[in-house]
Amino acid sequence: MLLPPADHTILDRRSEIISALSALLPAGCVIDDEKSMSAFDTDGLSAYRNQPLVVVLPETSQQVADVMRWCRDNGVKIVPRGAGTSLSGGAIPLSDGVLLGLGKFNKITKIDYENRAVTAQPGVTNLGITLAVQDEGFYYAPDPSSQIACSIGGNIAENSGGVHCLKYGLTTNNVLGIEMVTMDGEILKIGGTHLDHDGFDILGVMTGSEGLLGVVTEVTVRILRKPASQRALLVGFDSAQEGGQAVSDVIAAGIIPAGMEMMDGPAINAAEDFVGAGYPRDAAALLIVELDGPEAEVDFLIEAVSEIVKKAGATSIRASTSEEERNQFWAGRKSAFPAVGRISPDYLCMDGTIPRKALPEMLTRMAAMSQKFGLRVANVFHAGDGNLHPLILFDANQPGELERAEEFGAEILRNCVALGGVLTGEHGVGVEKRDLMGEMFTEDDLKQQQRLKCAFDPQHLLNPGKVFPVLHRCAELGRLHVHHGKLPHPDIPRF
Amino acid sequence: MTYFPRNHDDIKAIIAQAMESERPLCITGTQTKSGLHEPVRAEEHLSLAEMSGIVDYEPEELVLVVRSGTRLDEINALLGQHNQMLAFEPADYSGLLSSDHSGTIGGVIATNISGSRRISAGAARDYLLGFDAISGRCDQFKSGSRVMKNVTGYDLSKLMCGSYGRLAVLSELTLKVLPSPQTVQTICVTTDSLANAQAIVSKAFRSSVEPSGGAILPEADQFASYVRIEGVAVSVADRVAALKNILEDDGSTTLLDADESHRLWQIITNVEQFAPVSGQVWKLSIVPSSLAQIMAELSRQSEMSYFADWAGGLVWLNTHDPEAGSFIRTIIAGNGGGYAHLVRGDASDAISRFQPQPEQLSNLQARIKTAFDPLHILNRDIMGRELPSEASEER
Repeated sequence: MLLPPADHTILDRRSEIISALSALLPAGCVIDDEKSMSAFDTDGLSAYRNQPLVVVLPETSQQVADVMRWCRDNGVKIVPRGAGTSLSGGAIPLSDGVLLGLGKFNKITKIDYENRAVTAQPGVTNLGITLAVQDEGFYYAPDPSSQIACSIGGNIAENSGGVHCLKYGLTTNNVLGIEMVTMDGEILKIGGTHLDHDGFDILGVMTGSEGLLGVVTEVTVRILRKPASQRALLVGFDSAQEGGQAVSDVIAAGIIPAGMEMMDGPAINAAEDFVGAGYPRDAAALLIVELDGPEAEVDFLIEAVSEIVKKAGATSIRASTSEEERNQFWAGRKSAFPAVGRISPDYLCMDGTIPRKALPEMLTRMAAMSQKFGLRVANVFHAGDGNLHPLILFDANQPGELERAEEFGAEILRNCVALGGVLTGEHGVGVEKRDLMGEMFTEDDLKQQQRLKCAFDPQHLLNPGKVFPVLHRCAELGRLHVHHGKLPHPDIPRF
Repeated sequence: MTYFPRNHDDIKAIIAQAMESERPLCITGTQTKSGLHEPVRAEEHLSLAEMSGIVDYEPEELVLVVRSGTRLDEINALLGQHNQMLAFEPADYSGLLSSDHSGTIGGVIATNISGSRRISAGAARDYLLGFDAISGRCDQFKSGSRVMKNVTGYDLSKLMCGSYGRLAVLSELTLKVLPSPQTVQTICVTTDSLANAQAIVSKAFRSSVEPSGGAILPEADQFASYVRIEGVAVSVADRVAALKNILEDDGSTTLLDADESHRLWQIITNVEQFAPVSGQVWKLSIVPSSLAQIMAELSRQSEMSYFADWAGGLVWLNTHDPEAGSFIRTIIAGNGGGYAHLVRGDASDAISRFQPQPEQLSNLQARIKTAFDPLHILNRDIMGRELPSEASEER
């Protein structure tokens, strides 16, 4: 998982760069001593650490613009950072790059209940937005598991999801507008409290761009009225096949639950050992179905879904009758990762998506891979949308196990693509999956994406080394290769 | 001269020829929405009308893969058979724009036309999961996938929606579909001011009844607020009762049943009210709570008829004032922002059909255009005079 080699001319200019950036920022916004910088040397992909050239923590959009313009003029790379919770290494620093942290942008600037929108600075946490509006009975729907810590700006960069995106969509379906700063130091306002716009959907393409196209300095999101009722079903199955079929049957019946989560045998037992949520230990697959909305609708759907899963072969069905019970159903699922962390010195959390119907086949293949690589795997997934989180257990102290775990992970992702899915459903490509991009995209596909990058950052100064395995220079990408009056595809008959 | 490609190789050949001869192309579906945009500066047409057909439909996976020239009617009929729908309620502008039919799915995506349910379900751009296309460089490329949870690479699907064919020729589209609601009812409350009418709709959307449509129609000297409630029968009945309670002090209410609701929201989504009128038809996107203020300022400038959708965030205007565009845009800018698009009719030369962009944004848009179509082959000037390209060519 290599990062681009450091440019020694930049490393040699370190003091000059630090002075120049310090002149652009207030006191206390530049961190350059090794000990303090170590707090920024990794993100959620903590197996990899790298010390940045310097850390800057600006306080205003203008300061961000000044820093970016200076870096463009001086050929210095930038790695943007929200809360540093990325699980794919999107915020891992470059040794010859400025780590641009948005942590000081931590205010909610406007709450507009009339128009059901909240405007916040990018460093505000995902949960922070919900907390600001919950007393009035509102919330912000996309709920990645790290929501207590992850930043809304980071959510835009990753197009974060969560349990409830089956019904409420991803971040991109819930953002109304942003203010962003380009590598040229231009501050652009896109969207707002009105819907849609004329011109290209820059907001749409910025969302999920992993810090490669621009830096977000303000966000406006949609808020929703909290549903009147929330209930859950806890359902056990003797096989993943039956569990997967039940999920398809629910959707085929025209029901879109708020969330549908599945755990396999190893995950169930790890969770039970850890929190004792009352999961059936002998179940091969456990399904949690959450239904939310008006009370009459939820009660109706709980019955309807119970019937469907029963027909699909459920061996146990429990419907929550209170908020406490609903939370208890979720307790095991929510503690799945630390529960697995308890039974293994280390684990790799993977993230891929497959079509729902491919779930049983994928689990069969995963069991075979577990044998092949000699490593255990526990599965937790957003069954409703086919987004898998296999947890590969290993011991980093055992020679070769980290490498084997990574190969196992890569093999899982290759299988996701082969089964009609994608490399990443919510964690992003970052550095973790960068070298697998060729599994999903052709050279032409990747080049076209990079041409888009050239429109925003032709010098490749923003977060290089992430997402794309091979960087082509923009001049090369722009060439039309018209030789001797001949054009591409000379063999195709002309009309 | 109109070309009718049937596959990717055909499309590539046409684009290659256009690049070689430096003759731009007008990219069309079945030409039902020509009125929406500026005339394309091209003599040759590339029509997707014969790139038609359902490639794959998996109702239980909520995914539909279609060729871009497939008629919207055909798609709606197929989805209807399985009790599914395109949740963004694509509009049929055949009445408004005097065309034969509602056009192709490619046209819907290229114009991001979304109906009344956009306010709760999202726009066309929220339902395009992936696509195959040929760029203005004659490169075939794809983006996205068949699954909704996908953050692999840049989300080029968003860029294609609303791009009016300026970036690439879309050949195949992968769309998310959703179950159709079992039934629907609409509550109507009549009041005597626009401000009250918009506040009523806003109140409904801030409550727990989860509306899927909110419109305000002026009727003589009164204002009718319409709120749509969709879902399973027991839920709709419950929520309608709850909404009636919430709005009991706001004015007299009537209830529209399923058939009446279908008809009403069809009229609103398809802008049927303005099909027979003369003059200009403008589409405004505004901050919903600014509706009354904006209409008060606009009415002082000129006589216009109008109605609002998207809980007040979408305004359709009919006016005969050729200068209307400039004061419409000024008033919107002074009331929280938004945009105005001249959908039908002619304005004076100084007024552009599409909302002018601030310089920095239009420069970025021009660079994005270059990334896909450096020779400006595709739909040249469709949204107004294009900035010259800085494409590099090696000859």
